[in-house]
Amino acid sequence: MTFKATRIALAAALIGASAMGASAQEFTPEAPECIAPANPGGGWDFTCRQVGKSLQDQGLLSKTMQVVNLAGGGGGVAYAEVVNKRNDSDDLIVAASSATATRLAQGAYPGNTMDQVRWLASVGADYGVIAVAADSKISTLPDLLDMIKNDPTSVSVAGGSAVGGWDHLKVLIAANAYGVEDVRKVKYIAFDGGGEAVTQLLAGSVQAFTGDLSEAKGFVDSGDIKVIAVLSPERLDGEFADFPTAKEQGVDAIGANWRGFYGPGNMSDEAYDGWVKKISDLYASDEWKEVMATNGLAPLDLQGAEFEQFVSDSITQIQTISREIGIIK
Amino acid sequence: MSDRIFGVFGLLLAIGYTFAALAIEESFLSDAVGPKAFPIIIAVILGLSSLAIVLRPDPEPHWPPLARLAEIAAAIVVMILYAQLLPVVGFVIATAVASGYLAWRLGSSLIATVLTGVGTSIGIYVIFHLIFGLALARGPFGF
Amino acid sequence: MDTFASLGDGFAIALTWQNLGLALLGCFLGTIMGALPGLGPSNGVAILIPLAFTMGLGATPSLILLTSVYYGAMYGGRISSILLNIPGDEPAMMTCLDGHPMARKGLAGEALSLSGIASFVGAFFATWGLILLAPQLVKIALLFGPAEYFALFALAFMTLGGVSSTNQAKSAFAAALGLGLAMIGVDTQTGVPRFTFGEVHLYDGLDFLVAIVGLFALSEVFIFLEERHGSADAEGRQLKVGRLTPPMSMLKQTTPTMLRSSALGFLAGVLPGAGASLGSFISYSVEKRLVDREGTFGKGDPRGVAAPEAGNNAAAGGALVPMLALGVPGSGTTAVLLAVLLSLNITPGPLLFTQNPDVVWGLIAALFIANFMLLALNIPMVGLFTKVLMVPPRVLMPIVAMVSFVGIYGISGSSFDLMVMIGFGILGWVLRKFDVPLVPIILGTLLGNSMENNLRRAITIDNGDWFTLIDSPLSIVLWAIAIIGFILPLIVGRKVKARMHERGDEEGSLTD
Repeated sequence: MTFKATRIALAAALIGASAMGASAQEFTPEAPECIAPANPGGGWDFTCRQVGKSLQDQGLLSKTMQVVNLAGGGGGVAYAEVVNKRNDSDDLIVAASSATATRLAQGAYPGNTMDQVRWLASVGADYGVIAVAADSKISTLPDLLDMIKNDPTSVSVAGGSAVGGWDHLKVLIAANAYGVEDVRKVKYIAFDGGGEAVTQLLAGSVQAFTGDLSEAKGFVDSGDIKVIAVLSPERLDGEFADFPTAKEQGVDAIGANWRGFYGPGNMSDEAYDGWVKKISDLYASDEWKEVMATNGLAPLDLQGAEFEQFVSDSITQIQTISREIGIIK
Repeated sequence: MSDRIFGVFGLLLAIGYTFAALAIEESFLSDAVGPKAFPIIIAVILGLSSLAIVLRPDPEPHWPPLARLAEIAAAIVVMILYAQLLPVVGFVIATAVASGYLAWRLGSSLIATVLTGVGTSIGIYVIFHLIFGLALARGPFGF
Repeated sequence: MDTFASLGDGFAIALTWQNLGLALLGCFLGTIMGALPGLGPSNGVAILIPLAFTMGLGATPSLILLTSVYYGAMYGGRISSILLNIPGDEPAMMTCLDGHPMARKGLAGEALSLSGIASFVGAFFATWGLILLAPQLVKIALLFGPAEYFALFALAFMTLGGVSSTNQAKSAFAAALGLGLAMIGVDTQTGVPRFTFGEVHLYDGLDFLVAIVGLFALSEVFIFLEERHGSADAEGRQLKVGRLTPPMSMLKQTTPTMLRSSALGFLAGVLPGAGASLGSFISYSVEKRLVDREGTFGKGDPRGVAAPEAGNNAAAGGALVPMLALGVPGSGTTAVLLAVLLSLNITPGPLLFTQNPDVVWGLIAALFIANFMLLALNIPMVGLFTKVLMVPPRVLMPIVAMVSFVGIYGISGSSFDLMVMIGFGILGWVLRKFDVPLVPIILGTLLGNSMENNLRRAITIDNGDWFTLIDSPLSIVLWAIAIIGFILPLIVGRKVKARMHERGDEEGSLTD
């Protein structure tokens, strides 16, 4: 189990981090800034704002972290901006997630690769969900996938990422696991962020929604939509325990959207260590555990080199899946 | 006549735009419409309206004499220099010089020129930087 | 009467000295930011977020400050539109069309005070709409799928004809140019770059503020440079200011306009993705269709000032509906406000009204307070604003140019954007020479991407069938309005021209 391995590695990383702490404490960003590579309201935006606020609340940052929304190209605009224009900045961190890894894996950030930036740390994982409107006839994941299997044109699935992005890929993984032959026929509609996608589910323009648990939560609470599958290995804790997993419905699909940060490629080592330390201190705090619990984030804490390895592994994994499914050569 | 030239230019623009649209590289997975269709529709509208301008031109606009055009060209050059040099020399100096230039060319006397330049520059610096807290270009002297 | 009890609680929250002070500060700063070209409401709010946080304000006071800035900027945009013919922000561009001609006729004071009152009326009704209708209005927003949005945008473009130019071909040209410029950047549907020519700065597309400031403000500077002839410079602009309050007859004449425009603007605001610019645009074009019998719109008709101002302020209120009730931002500014809410640990969405009633009702009370404050600030300050007209252009124009540069640079920190802005300035000057209207260009850059994305979503949902665009009753209605709005003015316009010829205009040779 990768999690156990990472725990041990993590302990080592933590010790390493605290050893570095002495020198890292020197580093205080002059104008801390977090780029959220999407419009407000989505997952990246949430990551930036929540982390920025918590860092300040905990006294890990003395100044307010400014959040800049730089939407476009599934994060490609922000990635290019950082690589090309902000490559030396020590004050900048950028929200990233599985979606970033997906685009990188598929070569969808033209000319950009993962080693052009420095991967800082993760702050948790958000499991994928597939949901339908509350009044929909569909009530289980196999219902939905059967409809897609019989007539892929009859079901439109909305998500917040671009075509080929992580939200799209999650449906494809599920469809693939269920034995849908040509998953490229699955009809996916890209919206500008999860909020807009859920709205169109409510409006009845589309039949299903693929996204993250945190994006769906508010609408589940209000009774507007129902989650037909969580793409987690086992049922989640607490208030989310009611949601069936895809696995227990016979669809062996797991999709965890990790959330984390990268910094510019030429960020100084001092700044890099400083940010890694700040984020890992934050992760260890009780306040953050609470944030994770209320937002349906599952634990995933990786920092520094560990995290870099993790990202590299998940990129390889996504490449394999994409090739299997036939969306890249 | 000016309108006809303008229309022909619009037609060329529409054709160029169409070629640029056709050159868009499609990604491995696309939606039903694709990234090219809408730009091509726009190019068609652009082309048709340009054609209409060629065929039914408005009366001739009033063109300024050459000296006035040179005046505008000079102002454009100053603005471009301003845009390029702003991060190098800093906000206050660059702005004082550029606004001074414009004030001079719009007919200010020497003293008024200097006053307008310096006043504009410092006034904007106070409002935008000190009150609103916007990050303006920092020159070698920190302002 | 549950609503009124809640509203009472809201006022109890909002009416503290600290909150009133914040509202006043917000209204004042917002008005200034709105009036300065290059700083619109969304940037205005974004700039003040750090201020709210460093002051250590709680959720409700922060929101009171920032929404006051929002409403203030919506008021402020009109000032530079009327006095300088340069829109202070994008929704104020329609106010240029009649506001500046009014100022040229020596009615600057009337135009400013009238537009202030129209802004108040629009915002006032929109706030009531927000209170009484928010839950029902969400259902309206849900009627709009991708196909309906596409039809709505098409409607906006089709009613363009005749709004700002007599030459339809030039309007269409300008709209296509704006739409074409909007296509620049990474395609949000598939992630491929378009028309970027490998330039990364263009990946994010062109910022419409850069376009507005370039097209309107810089081209104005060029025109002054062109027209300067020795000493004749200042005299042309020593305009009469006029009265500082509008006469009763003008108020009476514009009241129906204000009410209609408030309703329309509010509806446009409620639809996410349409926003205040569409609100002011639609209000203006509908009003022109309805009441412009003598062809005075565009030449300084007070109703042409009242309509867009009531419309855009109503839309500003309407845009809060989807933001609060769905968590979906309806405009650039509400996107920033949404972000503020999220960072205050408040998640807008269907449950906000029940879970955080204090925030919602405090906010609504703040909107009322800010609105009254703005009216009280703006009417007496008309005299002060009009002093701008006394400043000779040789001083004023350098300031306008520099403020434009700073507004853009301060937000993006990019010399590239400044270069693009200069390019737009040159383009604006050339297009003005050819009498090509600038408003459609801005409308195109503002709405182009949403329009395209909704078209593509609609057609993908219906498996490549383009007839899906006219598949629902709502979209058929929208298309019908669009076609009537497009065909009618063409025919009627011809007739009017023909009638003018009959009246014995000798120079029939002008039109060939």
